[in-house]
Amino acid sequence: MRPARKRAAKDPRATRPPLRFGDDPLLWASWLYYEEGLTQNEIAEELGASRPTVNAYLADARAKGIVNISISGEKLRSVTIGREIEERFGLEGCVIVPGEGGPRSLIDRLGAVAAQSLRWLIHSGDTVAITWGRTMLALANAVRELDLLDIVVVQATGGTTAAIDYTPEACATRLAENLGARFVPISAPAIVSSPEARQILLAEPVIAEQLKNLERLTCILFGISSMRPNSTIHTSGFFDRKLQQKGYYNSAVGSLAGRFIDAQGVPIAGPLADRTIGIELDRLRRIPKRVLVAGGFDKVPPILAALRGGYVTALITDAGTGEGILRAEGLEVDKISQRRRATSPPEPALTRSRIKKFINQPRDVVREALEGALAAFPAHIESIDGSVRAIRSRVEKPQGKVGIVIGGGAGHEPGFFGFVGRGLADAVVVGNVFASPPPDRILSCTRDVHRGAGVLYIYGNYTGDVMNFDIAADLAAAEGIETRAILTTDDIASSGPEDAAARRGTAGNVFVFKIAGAASARMLPLDVCERLVRKANFACHTIGVALEPCSMPDTQRPSFSIGQNEMEFGVGVHGEPGVTRMPLQSADRIVDQICDRIFEEMRLESGGRVAVLVNSLGATPMMELLVVNRRLMQRLSARSVKVHTTLVGHYFTSLDMVGASVTIMGLDEELAGLLDAPCSSIAWIK
Amino acid sequence: MTTIDNAYLRSFFRLAAERLEAQRQDLCSLDGEIGDGDHGTSMANGFAAINARFRELSAEVQEPAILLREAASAFLGEVGATVGPLYATAMFQGAALLEERPLEQIRLGELLAAFAEGIRMRGKADLGDKTMLDAWIPASQAARNAAACGGDAAAVARAATAAALEGADTTTSMIASRGRAARLKERSLGHLDPGAVSAALIIGTFAELAEERT
Repeated sequence: MRPARKRAAKDPRATRPPLRFGDDPLLWASWLYYEEGLTQNEIAEELGASRPTVNAYLADARAKGIVNISISGEKLRSVTIGREIEERFGLEGCVIVPGEGGPRSLIDRLGAVAAQSLRWLIHSGDTVAITWGRTMLALANAVRELDLLDIVVVQATGGTTAAIDYTPEACATRLAENLGARFVPISAPAIVSSPEARQILLAEPVIAEQLKNLERLTCILFGISSMRPNSTIHTSGFFDRKLQQKGYYNSAVGSLAGRFIDAQGVPIAGPLADRTIGIELDRLRRIPKRVLVAGGFDKVPPILAALRGGYVTALITDAGTGEGILRAEGLEVDKISQRRRATSPPEPALTRSRIKKFINQPRDVVREALEGALAAFPAHIESIDGSVRAIRSRVEKPQGKVGIVIGGGAGHEPGFFGFVGRGLADAVVVGNVFASPPPDRILSCTRDVHRGAGVLYIYGNYTGDVMNFDIAADLAAAEGIETRAILTTDDIASSGPEDAAARRGTAGNVFVFKIAGAASARMLPLDVCERLVRKANFACHTIGVALEPCSMPDTQRPSFSIGQNEMEFGVGVHGEPGVTRMPLQSADRIVDQICDRIFEEMRLESGGRVAVLVNSLGATPMMELLVVNRRLMQRLSARSVKVHTTLVGHYFTSLDMVGASVTIMGLDEELAGLLDAPCSSIAWIK
Repeated sequence: MTTIDNAYLRSFFRLAAERLEAQRQDLCSLDGEIGDGDHGTSMANGFAAINARFRELSAEVQEPAILLREAASAFLGEVGATVGPLYATAMFQGAALLEERPLEQIRLGELLAAFAEGIRMRGKADLGDKTMLDAWIPASQAARNAAACGGDAAAVARAATAAALEGADTTTSMIASRGRAARLKERSLGHLDPGAVSAALIIGTFAELAEERT
């Protein structure tokens, strides 16, 4: 929206266009108007042009996309009439646009707002059907820059007469084009001359295959036709004189996707049903998102029928039609507004200070937790030289086996000690909470696992860990033990691809440890183990999202502050804030953002094979991880990616942070083979 | 002239540990804003470990260089983390300097410069990177300048303290380029670097010490 106008200046030279605007008067005029808040008269003065010219510049600038104005979708959805319709008919959303004012036709206006609403209606990986008609074509034409991945657009019905320009093919191809989606046509007429002809066509393999796509729909965009003489259902060639005269469809109030409903939304079984090719009403009603876009007074009865019949989950219409619908339901719109204004509750303030914890003395937490772990899992782990912070696996390590030492700070339980065992790491070094272990402990682990074939250090890429492990490596070298360090860098949110070596290591560690353990269990030499582990690290891509911060045992306070409706995108596993702060979103939308980033970075192709880890950052329960996993699987399947291994749970945490991370590891034969090898530890038994 | 001897170092570490213990929570909160919230813990525990080690050492240990080496290894063994290697290397550098010859208190700036050099070497950071060096380097320079201008030991320590505090304050206007805060890029603006704040706290101990002794 336009900012409030403030009188800008003064000296004309002060508003000379900056050089980057070049000589483009459209850009110049737009800047002065929208950014500087000058009036059209003032701009005319600046440019030495007439006011009508400036007016034309501004209109042109919008037409050419130099200026993009969008009204917040949230606001459009908050219109009172819309709220009331939502409530009345149990809709997920109802968008209301002004029905009058301005030169644009109602249909274009509806198309434009529907196109804008697609931002919250459809998401990457969706399979979307669209019907036909003037409004649908206006919608398809208005769609732009949605930035969605892996969308399929399916024609909802067969084709119609080409006497109209808003045919099913036209609507669907245009939508697919503007969404950058894959397009699936239905290569048959929507209406055929006889049931026999329909049966023959349905039996055609190509058509049958196309129609199969209608079973996987996640969303349908549809218009609705009234039964008036010049309505779409008539112009599309569905009726001949004979049928109407026979009165089969006398009780019909409207038609959607070429099917007919009565005033209560009940489907009407007439002779056309067996001659129509396209989505059927009972199937339509099972699609998760069903978006009806329609407006105009003649559409009130059919819209109402569709709402009553449960065909709609979201409605996009204009104010007049919306009011008409409510009136038809016996509601006075004026009274609604007053009632609603009176009942908006104040936002409760949430204040938290001290976070309760099961601790004795903060400084003893790490030691006591490790003592508890050693007592709980004696079959898996034991201390080295009586130190609880240097721990080895109970598995026998044969001579000539490369030793695997992992480690880092405490606070990631079951990381890191949960990953020592058969087919995994040999020893683990534990530091203080979120702090690297010191070199002397790393050295004692190194000595303990060395079997003459060298030792691999695997740890997250953090300044402190690098320094401490480097000092330990120098000390080990002085004793004649060869070590190699592999720094995990799976957190793709922490740096761009051009600076991938600077990324930090997070939950991807789990897969990297697995590959290392499997490689060393095969008695492969140090060089080969090192190569495989590096490859595993590059194959892992993680993004974490926090909804609430964690709290350190020492402070028992949230490690950063975050608003009630905010989340941190791109968090690591040390309680630090993420890369960006965003408005809180639904689980599916959060997973979508994660997938978009990871898919792009991995260049994940259809037919690819992956391992995934949906990991809790501590306080997020299994139930929510499973919700995350559900959407993740939908996105991977929309891309035809095969999921080889799935881990869901608490694998690599950040104390009590509310949040989750998603790791996707690209697999080839070599990595898949190592991942499939058996392993047995506290956190992973395979 | 009084030198930086065993008693001086023992008092320094005792006072510094008290100061860090008192600021434990505040340093953690400061670190929580741009780091992982453990800085207060590492520093307070680390300095406590140094004093514990000193108590175990026999009274025969008289060489300040040996004392500083013990401090370095006690600190490193206790905290690890990022500050462990940094301060351990700093103290090892300081020990190397004290090994060469006794150092007069008025030449505190040289000891601070040795510390700063150790930190710089280990952390591969420099002035302006929004790290503890933004306190250590200006402090060492100010101390040497004060000595060159004829200040006494107390004046030297005060100059170092003032420069360290000022250096720590300027970290709010810096964008971190080392350590975890570096991931935040411009979001680190407006926050004090906790490492620089604790460094100023430690350096301030020298001024406190100088006052106690006059």
